[in-house]
This record gives sequence, structure tokens and C-alpha cells, in this order.
Amino acid sequence: MTREPAPAPSMSGFDLVAAGPREASDPSGTAAARESVPPGNPSVTALRGHFAEAVFRNRICAGDEDVVYVDPERITDILGWLHDDADQHYDHLADVTAVDYGGGRPLEVVYQLWSIPNRAALRVKCELPLDALAIDSVTGIWAGANWLEREVYDLFGVHFNGHPDLRRILMPDNYAEGHPLRKDFPLRGRFSRAEQTRRALTQDPEDYYVPGEIGERTPQVVEGDGGAGADSGAAGGDDV
Amino acid sequence: MGLDKPGLLGSGTPTFLTTRLDFVVNWARRNSLWPMPFGTACCAIEMMASAASDYDLARFGMERMSFSPRQADVLICAGRVPYKLAPVLRRIWDQMMQPKWCISMGACASSGGVFDVYSMVQGIDTIVPVDVYIPGCPPRPEGLIYGLMMVQEKIRGESLANHTALRAEDPLATGRPRAGDEEVSDLTGPFGNSTHQNRVSGLVETDAIGRAEDRLP
Repeated sequence: MTREPAPAPSMSGFDLVAAGPREASDPSGTAAARESVPPGNPSVTALRGHFAEAVFRNRICAGDEDVVYVDPERITDILGWLHDDADQHYDHLADVTAVDYGGGRPLEVVYQLWSIPNRAALRVKCELPLDALAIDSVTGIWAGANWLEREVYDLFGVHFNGHPDLRRILMPDNYAEGHPLRKDFPLRGRFSRAEQTRRALTQDPEDYYVPGEIGERTPQVVEGDGGAGADSGAAGGDDV
Repeated sequence: MGLDKPGLLGSGTPTFLTTRLDFVVNWARRNSLWPMPFGTACCAIEMMASAASDYDLARFGMERMSFSPRQADVLICAGRVPYKLAPVLRRIWDQMMQPKWCISMGACASSGGVFDVYSMVQGIDTIVPVDVYIPGCPPRPEGLIYGLMMVQEKIRGESLANHTALRAEDPLATGRPRAGDEEVSDLTGPFGNSTHQNRVSGLVETDAIGRAEDRLP
């Protein structure tokens, strides 16, 4: 796969950043208009070819970063295709995060992808209305999405359908004030400082670090631990 | 026969010394303070610099950082403490043996600093009793050393006669906030960050914190 440099040769990177995002197309645009600003990443064009109706629009941010807005209903299909297709091969999920722009605008869930063999980055965004914050989990595609989606759930309240272990990860387990990074969340939280202090100290620190979360510690078998040990097996261990 | 042996100050002088028990106990305590470092942020970097060779805390008896609370004498809380870390800090304080002292190093540990937000303890004195507050963001190593010398001065003034008043702990208080609800409100009201002060003073009105639903209940 050859990678075309997106920025025009006459502009430097700082100029492109200062110019702001460029709309590659608008949702109502024609097919010709969609190609008016060619995306720097050929995956965008390929994505439009495969998921024509599910790719809403794309834009180029900060000079050369391709952003694709897709249908939240089909996020696992799209990201699974980007992961599995031989030409795309986005095998590294760098980040899952979300943005709340406030003002009642939809909350955006952001998937930052990176293809190690192609050295290509792609940002996929889904817009979720504030009254229906749910999207399918991508832990089946990248296992590393587990904690990232827990973080988005913890701080934004987005529910990931099919997530194996969807619970808070940064805020305490007994946190009852909501999801702090939402724009409607007050800066100091919803409870008084005295109540926050009291609730914090009712936590048992050992609840955070249960052995099951760290992983069961299995006894290490040392190779060559006495020649007789291999033969007698457990009986040799019981003598000690 | 005792005159045959050389005394403390030469031949013929006494071979014993009289002193006050208070003085010698306090002398031993203040010159062997082992710090329990609780470093969570940039203040911890200055604390490490204080322990390194340039400033050399060992000169003052802080011979080694004690990474076990059971063998430590002074808790140095260096950096911001979120609410999730509050029970950890409280437990470390409860695990320390008496006599023990606490230093709140830097603006964040002392008052929450600029972090007047939902996740941050507004001063560790709501969690544990603090003996010395060190201002600064972060304090220089000289500041930490001065704070430790103030702890030493505080120990110099202690007496075994009021040992119970100074050192006894209520076992029911372990794991609980040091400050009551009213005191927490008092501590976090006027001594919050500048935004909070401006709001309390009525000098500045900002929409972000002026909304009715943002006010503390």
C-alpha cells in the first residue's frame, strides 16, 4: 500500500494546523463532492467502498490526520473489517476515548487505530445521542479495548454492549456522583466535601486490589530442583 | 577508686552525667526521625532531591527513608491526594507507631492547591492530623528541611508529663476522617483555591460555577 502525503506542498504543517479541519465531504454531498478533498489515508476510500451507507463523512484534522464518522450500529463490522482486511490490517488499537462537546450535541466515541505493518493511523468516530449512550464493545476484535472501554464507561457513562467486565476503573467502586467528564457534571462533584471525604474513607483499600484482578499466582516450579524431585513428584515436596 | 579512672572531662571528673529525662528522650527522638515518604506528585521529586547528596537529609537524623510505616516516625505527604487514595493514606498513618508526626508538603497536600475538583482531597488534614505544613508548589528542598527542623523544634517542646495528651489515639478513630463535617466545610471554604475565594468574596462571578445545580448542598 502506498501512502500519499495529504498536505499540499505549499503549506507547512503549522499552517495546516492553524487552518483547522477541512471537511472532505458533507453527508448530503454527491460522490464527486466526497472526493473533493482526497483523504491522506487510502483506508478512508476503501472504507467508503465497502461501507458506503455506514460512513457518514470524513475530514482531515491537524494537517494530515484522517477522521471518519461512521454509523454506531455497525461499529463492530467496520472496525472488524479494518482489523482483518489484508490491505488495512489495523492491528493496534491505540486508544478508545470519548468527547462531550456540551450544548446537547451528541457525544463522540473515538477509536484511534494504528496499523503496524502499514504505519498508518486512522481515527474512527461514532456520534451517540445523549439519551442513548450505548455502543457495541470491540473487545472481541482487540482484547486491549477492555480497560479503555471501562474508562469511557466510568468517565462518560457510555454503555458498551457485550463488554465482559463493564465496571468503574478510575473512580472508586462506591462512587455515586455520576460520570465526571460529562459536560453536565459540576466541577466539584455533586456531594459536599464532607460527604466525599466520608465516603472515600469507607472504602477498604484491599477492595481495589483483589488477587483475582491481578491474576492467580501459580507456584513456580524450578527446573532441576533436585534429581529425585522429578521422580518422586509430590511426595518429595511434602517432606519439606 | 573511681578517682583513678578518667572522667568525662578528664581525670578526677565524674564518670556519670545528670540530665532531664524529657531532654534526653526528645533528643533521641528528634535526631532519629525516619521519614515515611508518601510521594504522589512533583513534590516527591523535591523530596528525593532533599534526600540526595546536595541537601542530605541524613545530616538531620533522617538517616534513611523508611518504606515501611511500622518503622517510620514522620509521614511526609508530598503531592496531591485524590479521594481514592485517601483510605490508603489513612491506613498508612494508622499503621505508624507512636510517636509519630506528619508533614504536609506543598500546596496540594495542604489545601488541595489548584485542584479544587471532584476527585481531590482538599487538604490531607481532613484525613490525618498534620503537624507542619510546608507551602510551595513544590517547595524547594530548603523548605522541606526547614519543615523537618520545625518538627524537631516541636519535639523539643514535648514532655513525657503530657504524653497521653500528645500521643494517645482513640482506637475507634482509625480509618475515620480526622475532621468532622463542619470542619471539612470550614477548611474547604475560605482556604480553597483562588476561584473559590473569588466566589466566596463575591468579587468575581463566573457562569461555570454560578449555576444553581453546581452549588454544594
